[in-house]
Amino acid sequence: MPAPAISLERLSKTYGTTHAVRDVSLDVAAGGIFAFLGPNGAGKSTTIRMILGLQHPTSGSARVFGLDVQDNMAAVHRHIGYLPGELALYPRMTGHRLFEFFAHAHGKIDRTYLDSLVARLDVITTRPVRELSKGNRQKLGIVLAFMHQPELLILDEPTSGLDPLMQHEFELLLRETVGEGRTVFLSSHELDEVQRLADKVAIIKEGQIIVNDTVRALSGGLPRTVEARFGTHLDSSLFARLKGVRIRENTDGHLSLEVSGAIAPVLRILADHNPIDLTCRQASLDELFLTMYSKPANPEPTGHEH
Amino acid sequence: MSTRFLSLDLALRRRLLIAYSAGMALYTLVVVVLYPQFKNTTSLDALTRGNSAAAALFGLTGSLTSPSGWLNANIYANFLPLILLLLTIGYGASAVAGQDEDGTLALLAVLPVPRKALILQKAAALAVQTVIFSAVVCAFTLVGRSFQIAIPPSRIVATAGTACLLGVDFGLLALSLGAATGRKGLSIGITTATAAASYLLSSLAPVIHWLQPARYLSLLYWSIGDSQLAKGPTVADFLVLAAVGIALLWTSVAAFQRLDLH
Repeated sequence: MPAPAISLERLSKTYGTTHAVRDVSLDVAAGGIFAFLGPNGAGKSTTIRMILGLQHPTSGSARVFGLDVQDNMAAVHRHIGYLPGELALYPRMTGHRLFEFFAHAHGKIDRTYLDSLVARLDVITTRPVRELSKGNRQKLGIVLAFMHQPELLILDEPTSGLDPLMQHEFELLLRETVGEGRTVFLSSHELDEVQRLADKVAIIKEGQIIVNDTVRALSGGLPRTVEARFGTHLDSSLFARLKGVRIRENTDGHLSLEVSGAIAPVLRILADHNPIDLTCRQASLDELFLTMYSKPANPEPTGHEH
Repeated sequence: MSTRFLSLDLALRRRLLIAYSAGMALYTLVVVVLYPQFKNTTSLDALTRGNSAAAALFGLTGSLTSPSGWLNANIYANFLPLILLLLTIGYGASAVAGQDEDGTLALLAVLPVPRKALILQKAAALAVQTVIFSAVVCAFTLVGRSFQIAIPPSRIVATAGTACLLGVDFGLLALSLGAATGRKGLSIGITTATAAASYLLSSLAPVIHWLQPARYLSLLYWSIGDSQLAKGPTVADFLVLAAVGIALLWTSVAAFQRLDLH
């Protein structure tokens, strides 16, 4: 069985008395997109920096493709492309010079691939970084992360500053990348993007992993929202006997239910009272994530350990 | 070994290095060209004759109007170390701590290159900048031979060598403090304070009896503060400055291996 792209074992980082990351254990299988989420200050960036070897764990270990990061820093870095959350580039340097420098630093790279990245992301390579907008600087950062076709891409807020057209192009690029068997470790606050792209999700809060599961499993467990409008007020007690039904709102003929149990009994009751309008939708992962973000951290992660 | 990080930092510092070197070159040229005008101005010597305290304030020993006294009073005892240390402490503090604070170091640190190689190239970039700056000052001091500054070229070159080592040492001190703490301001602050203390020790020790043994702690004393321009630097001067440099380089490498980057 191939080694996981990333394997964290009881990884911890303490600054003085602050526990930035506590006993984080996580395996990211090779191939696919793994989303790593959490509110600001939850320990995401610290964890990412320990995976990259930029920061040293207080205890525990981080491995990339089976190699201990601290013991094999240069070898590990050969497999990695990194886009930092707060990208900083040399202000006077043009994109062209940046690419030349990093291309040489990586050794042999496929120039055709680099050119294709520049073309499809419409990157401005002739002007100094300081003259570029945030979005255009971000595109330089994306090219720097992808240009050497690494096996593992660690991307922190990659679409920050990109316009919708470029966000779409970037998503295509990510799909192609995982299609080639490479791995993407994605940190993002764009929860829609995560839901569309990621196979697995881990949420970190207060330095601990509180969710580690597949997007499919998480979506499957989400309640549906049923909304209906009636000519008259509906008695709330009609739903009292149904399991997994919670009334969110019932005013002026407008009824909103959260249904985590069977849907058919609910629909039968609604149909019997001649609704004027009816909609049923599954909650998005946004709602789940926001709930998780606001709940106190629990040392035991929910979902499945993989 | 590839020198790409060395080249990168030299490119980033190019404008600053040119400005510092050109400014110092012009200043040195003016000082040496003016020497014949002041060579026989005995009133200048009267300022410090029999007044070692006044001489100490200028970092001087001996006559002000002798070639070495003139160069010491106007360049080597004050402006040269000041500008040189501005250049090297500035780079030493920014090469790791400054670049980490502005976020550019992380992209370099995730390249497939050991950290040791990265910081050794930064130390080499420091050395190259210091050599260029010192060579420019040396070249324009040598021009002084056409203006009655009769100091043997070998002594001027050798003193440029000890000045260069002084710059490298303080640059490496700033580099190692930056690598140990990740804080540019702290690195500049401590190194500048050390340089100021070094200057005071070297210049005041000749007139304050109890300070005399402490002058050996001053890197300025081993570089340009012990009349190197008049007498020529000794092998001991070079050895002390080189040994301090090697110790600081080792400290920088060890500290950088342990530094948490952003």
